[in-house]
Amino acid sequence: MLKIEDLHAAVDGKPILKGINLEVKPGEVHAIMGPNGSGKSTLSNVIAGRDGYEVTRGTIRYNGKDLLAMSPEERSWEGVFLAFQYPVEIPGVNNVYLLKAGLNAKRKHQGLSELDAMDFMGLVREKSSLVRLDPDFLKRSVNEGFSGGEKKRNEIFQMAVLEPQLAILDETDSGLDIDALRIVADGVNTLRSPERSIVMVTHYQRLLDYIEPDVVHVLAGGRILKSGDKMLAKELESRGYEWVLEEAAA
Amino acid sequence: MSMAMQVPPEDVAPEILAAISNLPGASAYRQACAGYFAQAGIPTTRHEDWKYTDLPRALAPWWPKLSTPAAGEAMLDAGVLDALLVDGLDVHRLVFVDGCFHAGLSDAPLRADTGLYVGPIAPLLDVPPTWLELDAAEAQAPLYHGMNAANGALFTDGLAVHVPDGQALPRPVQAICLSRSGQVAHLRHHIRLGAGARATVIEQYASAHAADRQDGALDNAMSQVALAEGADLTHYRLQQHGPHHLHLGRVQVTQQGGRYASHAVNLGSHLCRLDIVAGLRQEGASCELNGLYMTDGRQHTDCHTHVDHHAPSCSSREFFKGVIDGRSHAVFNGKIVVHAEAQKTDSAQSNANLVLSRQAEIDTKPELEIYADDVKCAHGATVGQLDANQLFYLRSRGFTEPAARQTLTVAFADEVLARMPDAPVRTYLERVGLSRLAAATEVLA
Repeated sequence: MLKIEDLHAAVDGKPILKGINLEVKPGEVHAIMGPNGSGKSTLSNVIAGRDGYEVTRGTIRYNGKDLLAMSPEERSWEGVFLAFQYPVEIPGVNNVYLLKAGLNAKRKHQGLSELDAMDFMGLVREKSSLVRLDPDFLKRSVNEGFSGGEKKRNEIFQMAVLEPQLAILDETDSGLDIDALRIVADGVNTLRSPERSIVMVTHYQRLLDYIEPDVVHVLAGGRILKSGDKMLAKELESRGYEWVLEEAAA
Repeated sequence: MSMAMQVPPEDVAPEILAAISNLPGASAYRQACAGYFAQAGIPTTRHEDWKYTDLPRALAPWWPKLSTPAAGEAMLDAGVLDALLVDGLDVHRLVFVDGCFHAGLSDAPLRADTGLYVGPIAPLLDVPPTWLELDAAEAQAPLYHGMNAANGALFTDGLAVHVPDGQALPRPVQAICLSRSGQVAHLRHHIRLGAGARATVIEQYASAHAADRQDGALDNAMSQVALAEGADLTHYRLQQHGPHHLHLGRVQVTQQGGRYASHAVNLGSHLCRLDIVAGLRQEGASCELNGLYMTDGRQHTDCHTHVDHHAPSCSSREFFKGVIDGRSHAVFNGKIVVHAEAQKTDSAQSNANLVLSRQAEIDTKPELEIYADDVKCAHGATVGQLDANQLFYLRSRGFTEPAARQTLTVAFADEVLARMPDAPVRTYLERVGLSRLAAATEVLA
């Protein structure tokens, strides 16, 4: 599904990622953990194609294709989805419009017919219940006036509608109280499937209590220093990141 | 100020005087204006209010035609009105071509014994014209310039809406003012609402033929609005001329109370200058000025607003937005003057601009002059580009880059349209005004 090899990336000329190697197979859930400033969000943004991140070396293959050669919208059409750490407010553009246009652009790319308003609203009702968002809520402008929890739920709702093959969840747990975290995690768990891969980028182990990963990676200083199963996350929670850094330096 | 005014060519004033005799009624008023024309002069860019708009240069080709009256009832292409009609809005329609009333395309005037009148102004000019006396007093106001005076001397016709005390117009009035290429039009509209009267008026300016849209024309339009206590006027002003047009507009509002809400949308013309001047003269009056200007190519649009708070406890709200693209130039100036007697004034003004290209230019200036001590006044102006985070967010959801840009631009402009109380007008503007933005948004079908 996703194969990252020797990925180096810089922001404003400053190297952030210094040789990432990562392979995610269909159906797998990976957690990427690490201290602040380790490059976690840079990795998410490079995968999604945000401007301002310069890839200086390495490759990202997605379903065998060169992901780095694609525009952000092409990545979306091909099934890549980024759940934003800080979902953007867009006054004057309503949620339903955003999703309908986005979904139909993807369907067009796939050679499928566009969904009409009726079918689309049916889909919206079905998927919004996943994260317990009131469909009326979605007639409002994108994320405008949403609480932190509502914004994150909206991200997962969008993921449910767009049905990506590869979802990157960038700090989806940050700013969530325990109830909202549970709702978001339930939504993500419902979306797990053998064809869908999920990469969770998170600072805390807490999210992993609700969404159980197949593989856990420790990212620090722009490199993946250690990989393991979900027990690694538990160990990080109790011992912190320090020992991994020391182990890697040794 | 005289330093900053340019005297018009000396043969123009006698031509104006000569032309007056062929125009309907109000000859004393016309002569007063003609006399004032040369004296008032044409503001140059050394005049503070005209710093960015070179009126003498724009007018130079038009001097020989300034007082040439339009000939008869014009022949128009069939369907010329189609693009200008507002779907879903039942209106009383009046059409003017080059400043002359076109009865064939217009609804019959509405006239009642009560004093209610909706129709062309020309037939009223021989009736005791109390409103012209009012105008005559104001004709020497310092904000008037030579082209305002020329309008007073030379106007051929325009819209008159008179609604007596306590009455409401049964349906909105739409005055469609068409310009044919090479023609000069001087239009004078008059809207007067009695105490507690209500009306909705749409002024619309456009080029007469699709083919003409590459040729130039000049229209010089003045609207005189007078509201009595408790009156309520919603006033749309849509300027949709072709890209080679010269449009001069002035809206003069006098409020003895009541509520005035203006929605001024400027999309067309090579050069457009619009002045909206409102005087709040009675306690409790409120005035709301909303506006949108969109410029592209080499267009130049200049919106000046001037609100005078003369009486206590009045409120004014101003909300103007601009979308500036290509090598175009937009100017916004919003002046609020709170006079000494206008205690408890509540005033807010905002101007936001979206600049879409590196060659585009915007000059915006909010101005506050406050001579009272117990007032609430807020103002702010912003100039910005499209937000990179919003663009990326939309693209990450599958919008192409052009579609994302268009979507954000439309959303920006739509905030002005959202304030319009008549949904059909809003829908119409979204269709025609924003169509050039939506053209490339193929994913938005």
